[in-house]
Amino acid sequence: MTAVIETGGLGKRYRRLWALADCTLSVPAGHVVGLVGPNGAGKTTLLGLATGMLAPTAGTIEVLGGRPGAGPAQLARVGYLAQDAPVYAGLPVAAHLKLGAHLNPGWDAALARARIKRLGLDPGQKAGKLSGGQRAQLALTLAVAKRPELLILDEPVASLDPLARREFLQYLMESVGDQGLSVVLSSHLVADLERVCDYLIVLVGSRVQVAGPVEELLATHHLLSGPRRDPGSLPDGMRVISASHTDVQSTLLVRTSGPVLDPAWMVSEVGLEDLVLAYMSQAAGRGRRSHLEVQR
Amino acid sequence: MIEFHLDGRSGVAPYMQLIHQVRQSLRLGLLREGDQLPKVKDVAAGLAINPNTVLKAYRELEYEGLAAARPGIGTFVTGTLGGGASLAAHGPLRRDLQRWLAKARRAGLDEESIEALFVSTFRSAGEEEIA
Amino acid sequence: MTWLTWRQFRVQAFTAAAALAAFAVLLAATGPHLASLYAASGIRGCQPASCGQLASNFLQQLYAAGTYWVLYLLGIVIILLAAAVIGLFWGAPLIARELETGTSALAWNQSITRTRWLAVKLTLTGLAAMAVTEGLSLMQAWWAAPIGRAVGYGAGGTNLAMGRFSSLVFATHGITPLGYAAFAFTLGVTAGVLIRRTVPAMAVTLAIFAVIQIAMPLWIRPHLFPAHHSVIPVTSLESISLQQGGLNGSRFNLGAENLPGQPGAWLLSSGAVNAAGQATSTSPAACTTQSMRNTSAFMDCLASHGIREAVSYQPASRYWSFQWTETAIYLALALALTGSCFWRLTRRRT
Repeated sequence: MTAVIETGGLGKRYRRLWALADCTLSVPAGHVVGLVGPNGAGKTTLLGLATGMLAPTAGTIEVLGGRPGAGPAQLARVGYLAQDAPVYAGLPVAAHLKLGAHLNPGWDAALARARIKRLGLDPGQKAGKLSGGQRAQLALTLAVAKRPELLILDEPVASLDPLARREFLQYLMESVGDQGLSVVLSSHLVADLERVCDYLIVLVGSRVQVAGPVEELLATHHLLSGPRRDPGSLPDGMRVISASHTDVQSTLLVRTSGPVLDPAWMVSEVGLEDLVLAYMSQAAGRGRRSHLEVQR
Repeated sequence: MIEFHLDGRSGVAPYMQLIHQVRQSLRLGLLREGDQLPKVKDVAAGLAINPNTVLKAYRELEYEGLAAARPGIGTFVTGTLGGGASLAAHGPLRRDLQRWLAKARRAGLDEESIEALFVSTFRSAGEEEIA
Repeated sequence: MTWLTWRQFRVQAFTAAAALAAFAVLLAATGPHLASLYAASGIRGCQPASCGQLASNFLQQLYAAGTYWVLYLLGIVIILLAAAVIGLFWGAPLIARELETGTSALAWNQSITRTRWLAVKLTLTGLAAMAVTEGLSLMQAWWAAPIGRAVGYGAGGTNLAMGRFSSLVFATHGITPLGYAAFAFTLGVTAGVLIRRTVPAMAVTLAIFAVIQIAMPLWIRPHLFPAHHSVIPVTSLESISLQQGGLNGSRFNLGAENLPGQPGAWLLSSGAVNAAGQATSTSPAACTTQSMRNTSAFMDCLASHGIREAVSYQPASRYWSFQWTETAIYLALALALTGSCFWRLTRRRT
């Protein structure tokens, strides 16, 4: 399968701060990709590089095989929904649809109209008067109706109430099923992404910590608990992501491709949220240069 | 057409839950051979889950011989799970179970104890069968 | 993109149209009467000797009536402000608003490039800005034609008698309003692009535009072409101001409104020179006593002492050269600002 986003050593620097560093990804097509990480980790930067709104300081990036933002043809293939779903507050809903029709050669007017009708939006209402959820739905309609191959969403549900969040994700999944879209959406909450994503990228401290299909990640990460042990004494194929110790017990979250054979360990599955948290704390620990603390 | 639901906190993977629900519906007679399963797009939109998850469940059912995909039309039920015979046995088994429950309550067991007793016996019986 | 630019610009367009219409109605209501007054003044077909006096009478009549003076001034003020208002309310928010609200992200991810987006917005709104300002100027010029003609015949003595080269008139007639509008507009847009916030961009635009508009007539315009110099007799001067400082050596200043043989010229500077050609401002003792009597006696006295006036001026024939040159300067500035906007917004931001 071809990659929708292909990066090599991608980096972006603002003055002296690297907002994104050393990012090498090959995101396959046909997936809903979750980009998760704490605020300020570089998610918006990575998405901005993918849409061509930012230019790299280092490394390369290719989206759908082309340079991001390079001309109308490339722009037509990628849809984007910015944080907080900006819309023209003074223009009514119908004017937004007309905007889409005028500015996009691939615009599907029937799809857009049908969607607005199903959402129950009044075409004459000014977009500034819509609720947060309605604005997000309008922005999503605009992005989807231009029939892109890839849809990029920056924290689309962060400020929505639970019902609006559910409805937004429902519409998104319907469009994915309908049009065979690839989607990349970012969030700082794993719970938002769990149901819909089948590929995960964890971004912490401006660096990619782990990336891969969710199924594979869940199958290769395990929680091991057993007698107190030095993490360095584990076999080579096993990589410790996070560890905590008491005086008698060690609990380790490890990544390994093979089975865990040591009978001393009690092995249990890891949920996606715990997996992401482990990578976040690992990166934070590295950043603070702190060592493992013994818990009593 | 059946409708799916998801329990986010059950710890069971979504696609497994879908498979279970199809099998359950087959057992209860809600689904019969030749019925169409809900469209992948509709399930994904209804539950707000990834269409690939639904596809995975349907492919698994295909692999088990319970369903078959007809390209462009949908996925249809092709098999049964022991079908009529098991349905016929439900009546007497249900009555036996009701009698046993009455006995357990008379013995003074509360609901949690009854459930724990049943689950542990069920599990150990299952292990005996394997062995 | 044309449609979107128009849709976003609609309210401002209607406001401008309403303002133009209101202005037109005002001028149309009073213009014909002004023209009839001019016709009645007898300036048309006047004898060369009496034209100046007739013209002055006409203007004094208008000035005394009050309303025409107010309207004339109002028109000039409106035209002067138009460029500033356009720079502030059309230029500054054009891009800044989109950057502030985040709608730029919406616009830039449709299927058009940023270059095209900016080009259409700038071109359409900029052309509208120039058209509105120049439209106001042309309407005012039509209405004030009688006044202009009277001034051309050498009218003087009232505030209405401002020559073509005077700061207020030069800036509001001809083609300079076009240049000012283009400059103010692109200044506003550039401020918006650089500052990314509408209100601060408006403030910066206003400040810079005001400074330039004051600097141009004061320090730049007079030097666009080399000035002509000449020495003229004192008696031809129209005004004189005296500072009494004692009988010996009271100071005086001489002013001129019209130069002999150079009707409509732009007087840049004038100063008294003595017989040897040196600048002087001290009056000979003999003339100071004369000054008590009347102005013309004083001036005769100065003349008899060999004192004359050295003037530097721009001839009237250069009027359009000045107009074109100044407009070209402003348009060049506007172009440079436009280029910087494109460079800032469409370069790949590394």
